[in-house]
Amino acid sequence: MTHQTVADRFGYTRVVLRVEGLGKRFGDRWLFRELTFEVSQGQSLVVLGPNGSGKSTLLRTLSGLLPPTEGKVHISGDPRLSLGVSSIEMALYPQLTVLEHLEFVASLRDCDPRSDELIARIGLEHARDQVTSKLSTGMKARVKLAMSIQANPKVLILDEPGAALDDKGRELVASIAREQIQRGSLILATNDPSERRLATHELFLAA
Amino acid sequence: MNSSWQREIKAVFLKELNSELRTKSGLITASLFSVVTVVALAYAAYNTSLSGTIAAGLIWVSILFATIVSIPRIFLIEEELGTMDILRLTARPHSIFWGKSLFSLAQSIVTAFLLAGMFVAFVGQRIYDPTLFLVSIFGGSVCLSSAVTLCGSLVAQAANRSALAAAIAVPLLLPVVTMAVGATRGSLGAGFHQQAVNCALGLIAYAIASQAIGPGLFALVWKS
Repeated sequence: MTHQTVADRFGYTRVVLRVEGLGKRFGDRWLFRELTFEVSQGQSLVVLGPNGSGKSTLLRTLSGLLPPTEGKVHISGDPRLSLGVSSIEMALYPQLTVLEHLEFVASLRDCDPRSDELIARIGLEHARDQVTSKLSTGMKARVKLAMSIQANPKVLILDEPGAALDDKGRELVASIAREQIQRGSLILATNDPSERRLATHELFLAA
Repeated sequence: MNSSWQREIKAVFLKELNSELRTKSGLITASLFSVVTVVALAYAAYNTSLSGTIAAGLIWVSILFATIVSIPRIFLIEEELGTMDILRLTARPHSIFWGKSLFSLAQSIVTAFLLAGMFVAFVGQRIYDPTLFLVSIFGGSVCLSSAVTLCGSLVAQAANRSALAAAIAVPLLLPVVTMAVGATRGSLGAGFHQQAVNCALGLIAYAIASQAIGPGLFALVWKS
């Protein structure tokens, strides 16, 4: 993933993510190949497809968590600040509290932790000093959402964000998604019809 | 080093420290191993005077194993828990390496001095050159920590970790243990004193070299 000379690369357009000839192969099987697209500010891309089609792999490749087999991903700005990611696969430190997670990540990103604001936003004021090993799956998903939006990223990548959440949690995801589309762009992998409605563009991966 | 790097390194160090203080896994493992080893050696050496060479060898074998059972997991555990993604998304590789390296260094020094101190007290080993003894334990534990941390960081992301760890660990640890034994042996009155001093200097050089090379190597593995 490269993030240098963004202004030069993207000029006056508001493209925040550019994918060029992206492909990922495991063994002999290509999950996706020759993907080329751009995502601009105000756009939301929903990645659809059956289980095993490579939605999570595509999102992990876009995030820089997996190296692509071929092609490139360009993200506008320093990815530590301009990219927010929340996924089911990502784990939290079991021995750190909710508050410590937000402060730790903010220290690494060199940004304002906004701990009180974010903890209130995700509705975990009562659990701010609890270690995450004692939180439910849904509560952990909320903490990951808070971490992903902490630096007001230009690109927010969410992998099945509503999977472990109750109705209030899904409303939270929808409001975060709407805000993100105002601020930057959103990339979402889902099979949930309500989340699919957030899309301005769709990408379907075949199995 | 600017404040941004310092803040990142401190954050990783404190994260490791908080996790360790809450689980106490490394501390308990190293302490129990140290106590059992020293008591067993003291029992075996009861009413016997150990030569400086044998005593130095026993001290460093014990420290080596106490370090190996506790330190390499600081990278591996991130992969096992799935928390490495948080670091990959938010941190720079050099700060991760330095933060974790400083923590393992602290843990290694505490373990080494605890074990060496218990050995001297329980076995009744006489120290002829206390300064050289302290330098050898300090220098050896710094080198061991550097080598084991580097090894752990390089293999944590590999599929076949055990085989790779063994292949990397042997060439990294062999010179450390040889020099550490040489320096400690001299401080316990065996071998040539100048040779022991040379070994102590070798340990210092190894520690500097491994700390200089480690972050760069880790960054290469991290990016790939």
